[in-house]
Amino acid sequence: MTTEKLLFNTGEVQDGVQHLCEAVLRDFKENPDYVLLGLHKQGVPLAERIADHLEEKTGTRPAVGKLDISMYRDDIGLRSGLPLIRETVIPFNMEDAKVILVDDVLSSGRAIRAALSAVTSFGRPACLRLAVLIDRGRPEFPIRADYVGFNAFDVDPAQKIVLKLTENDGEDAAVAIQWR
Amino acid sequence: MTAEFRWTRKDLLSLYDLSAEEITYILDTAEEFKKVSERNVKKVPALRGKTVVNFFVEPSTRTRVSFELAEQRLSADIVNMTASTSSLTKGESLLDTVRNIEALQVDLLVMRHRATGAQNFIAQNVSCGVINAGDGAHSHPTQALLDMFTIREKKGRIKGLKVAIIGDILHSRVARSNMWGLLKLGADVVFAGPATLVPREFEEAGVKVCHRLEEALEGADVVNLLRIQHERQSAGFFPSINEYSRFFGINQENIKRLKPDTLIMHPGPINRDVELDSSVADGPNSVILEQVTNGLAVRMAVLFLVAGCGGKR
Repeated sequence: MTTEKLLFNTGEVQDGVQHLCEAVLRDFKENPDYVLLGLHKQGVPLAERIADHLEEKTGTRPAVGKLDISMYRDDIGLRSGLPLIRETVIPFNMEDAKVILVDDVLSSGRAIRAALSAVTSFGRPACLRLAVLIDRGRPEFPIRADYVGFNAFDVDPAQKIVLKLTENDGEDAAVAIQWR
Repeated sequence: MTAEFRWTRKDLLSLYDLSAEEITYILDTAEEFKKVSERNVKKVPALRGKTVVNFFVEPSTRTRVSFELAEQRLSADIVNMTASTSSLTKGESLLDTVRNIEALQVDLLVMRHRATGAQNFIAQNVSCGVINAGDGAHSHPTQALLDMFTIREKKGRIKGLKVAIIGDILHSRVARSNMWGLLKLGADVVFAGPATLVPREFEEAGVKVCHRLEEALEGADVVNLLRIQHERQSAGFFPSINEYSRFFGINQENIKRLKPDTLIMHPGPINRDVELDSSVADGPNSVILEQVTNGLAVRMAVLFLVAGCGGKR
């Protein structure tokens, strides 16, 4: 049985989302000319929540897309099986768009590296930013987040951080579990 | 489908071996790969650094081209071999040939062979992944998967549909593969054709066998025609091509028996005006060219899953 250690409770996760939105707003001011692109699986509901918050604050809701990066990973055949490929939906023109990638946890940075390849196969965005709810602070690639909900630098590298969201898991929480 | 489901097979040999869940998983994966071919950049790096050998001991055009394009769109490195360009012509055994290919650090072998079970034998003796692109009259899993993909895409489901497969069932790996796949997903499968080409033994597997076309067409949601090979006539399976066409060919007249939304399918190559009248092959119910398009997506999905199952390399 896997033991879970609670890192952030429901209120903290929701505060983290709020915090992310404020950081995005500081950057883009009141000019909502950007779009959000959530990475499956947890980045997708996270992007929707950020869009809700931003709509509340500015009165305008940014477009939200979904991106699956399975076909762009660099570890195919190294892992024990692949997750199901989920639907990619890009409801905006990638050419010259200002895109904020949204993911739950920035860990090795490899998922984001794959996301960069995926995004550029749809067009040439004007700029790409990265928003993550949790930053582990030890990327294996030179990749940093522009907007961060929380830092979790002191979590044991032998542990995996799992974000649970009400939309997919019935509750909001971040937990640490032992890697299999 | 459970979120925890993981594809674990290093080979795809026959739909007979697969569960309904595994078949559905391939079809679901193929849906996303179909969209890749609709983008401006039709290529993904999924199999970058992997080497795929297409070893076609039996001639093939469309299946080989489809596999080759699927591999290219997944960024794999590709080597094409045929029987005549291999040392099989010098008397080398099949297993020795394949072991020599494998010694070059190949990741996947896509293989067609005229002997039933050849790929199963090879898969047991090599560590690279093996995908069956057709063995004898036994199995052609990617053809059946693309047929099922097309049916599911057009009809929204497979369960409960009546699928009539008409023609030379006896010699057809397409018919057998469709039978296994469709039955597992809950379709009603009917085999029809002359008694010499559609033996009653298939009933034991759970299909309905009939020797009158009208019976097969009655209430069918899908009609899948198989190519009639001229050499079967000289072997005495039916008196003449003309007679076959008269009793079992689909034409403007008997298509009236069908429901207006019945799908007309054919794995190709078509003998126009033998098993299928030209006007029907090119008519509004025909999804024959969509089958070809979907074949690419299904083969991309199969290559991706087999390569990604955590094989030896």
